Amino acid sequence: MDLQNMNPSSLKSRFATRFLRALTKINAQKPISSSSSREIFQRYRRIKVAADKSMAYSVRSRRSWSRATLWRLRTRSPRSRLATLARRSSVKTRTTRAASHGATVVDRKSHGKENKEDGGVEAEELRELVPGGEAMDLCNLLDETAHYIKCLTTQVQVMRTIANLYSLH
Amino acid sequence: MESNAGTKETRSNLTASDGGEVTAFESLQFTDEIHRLILAPTTDNSSSFTALLELPPPQAVELLHSPDSPKLIAASPPNVEDFQGSFRFPSNSGLIERDARFSLFSGEANNSNEKRNSPESKNVSANPEKNVKSEPAETESSQPLVSDPTVEKRSIKRKDRENKVKGSTKKSKTVANENSEDAEKLPYVHVRARRGQATDSHSLAERARREKINARMKLLQELVPGCNKISGTALVLDEIINHVQSLQRQVEFLSMRLAAVNPRIDFNLDSVFTSESGSLMDSNFPSLVMPAIWPEVQGNGHRQQYQHQWHLDTLQQPVWGREEVCNNYITPENSLLTYDSSANSATLQANHLKMEL
Repeated sequence: MDLQNMNPSSLKSRFATRFLRALTKINAQKPISSSSSREIFQRYRRIKVAADKSMAYSVRSRRSWSRATLWRLRTRSPRSRLATLARRSSVKTRTTRAASHGATVVDRKSHGKENKEDGGVEAEELRELVPGGEAMDLCNLLDETAHYIKCLTTQVQVMRTIANLYSLH
Repeated sequence: MESNAGTKETRSNLTASDGGEVTAFESLQFTDEIHRLILAPTTDNSSSFTALLELPPPQAVELLHSPDSPKLIAASPPNVEDFQGSFRFPSNSGLIERDARFSLFSGEANNSNEKRNSPESKNVSANPEKNVKSEPAETESSQPLVSDPTVEKRSIKRKDRENKVKGSTKKSKTVANENSEDAEKLPYVHVRARRGQATDSHSLAERARREKINARMKLLQELVPGCNKISGTALVLDEIINHVQSLQRQVEFLSMRLAAVNPRIDFNLDSVFTSESGSLMDSNFPSLVMPAIWPEVQGNGHRQQYQHQWHLDTLQQPVWGREEVCNNYITPENSLLTYDSSANSATLQANHLKMEL
């Protein structure tokens, strides 16, 4: 059986290579021996960011959610204050996630239903889940959700395999 | 029945550009179609364009010149050049298609005796069914996958409506008669609507949108396991939301697991690849058949390409190039014989990864 028959440019292999690269970088940064909970938590966050980032990069800008993820990653905490200001004033996102989530939900519900005839409350929830979903109509939202689910499944598969490999030793 | 054949062909060509987004290619097709319609030799003393509508020419011209029928194809043939510049959106071509179909009703009802109602409605409903069946067959060959469910849905809906038409008796006939009478009297015919539905432009656009959304919901239902049995948009959306949330949580758990598990391994993948010695490659290892961990292992002969890309991408080590000779599973016993344990685990690890990915 020929094991190397995978399509070299499939989403899975693209994501796998990128993620492994990022993972080795993270491993190289910190001394691996330390296992305090804080260290582990920091590593967890970095790994999670790396996973999302590598998945978004594997998809490039072909999808709205990947563009939104990349944009969000770029304007993250290093320049937090400027970033949130820029995000508020940008056209792309209607509401900022970092800002008071609860307050904006109410606004969104009152405006969202009028502006976009949608599936009601569930569509709003879906918009929150899918990155960049706030500024889409239901039709595109469903498209993006389908692709997002496919990519998430790939991500989970790859990460699970890597974790299984690592835990063998 | 040249006009009939021409009608069917044009209708199917129209449906070919129906459904989904208007790509440049489709718009080109449309242009060509219109040019062909204009330039084709006229049959039965009428241009094939009017044959499309199956109305007598003067009415057709009147119809074409109607000022407030923005959704018909063009005003008159000379104006088609203008039309070329401003393309309509898919919903319009959907309307045109329905338009043409409905005119089949009115046209045939007009032409034949209105006394012969029952055979009329049967004929009328028989013909579109044939057309409907030919349409999906033709559209499937020329459509991207996404618009297929849309078009098929539409054709399926039309079939259902046809069945309803057959079932319902007087009401539909009278409606058909009324509409056909309207077709005769009024200068313009709002023949876009399906039977028994509102002819409002807004509601038509709404309907097209709703069909799109329903098609996408169907795709999502197939993606999300366990969604096929649920009916109703809200519940399906709930399922989808749950699925997305669970996937995101899984990613988080796995990344936490990776963060926790890593410290135990006392090697660096980079150091593994740099310190790999040549003799490791040259020795022969028993070839074991690895279980296929990835569910989708494709049957292409891309192995060499993959390995090449792999080693160019991540490692930039010529070592991996040599590995393609021995595509093997390094057993612990073999490696223990020659190397120390840490290097063994490292190479074992790296080979694991390579094999499984």
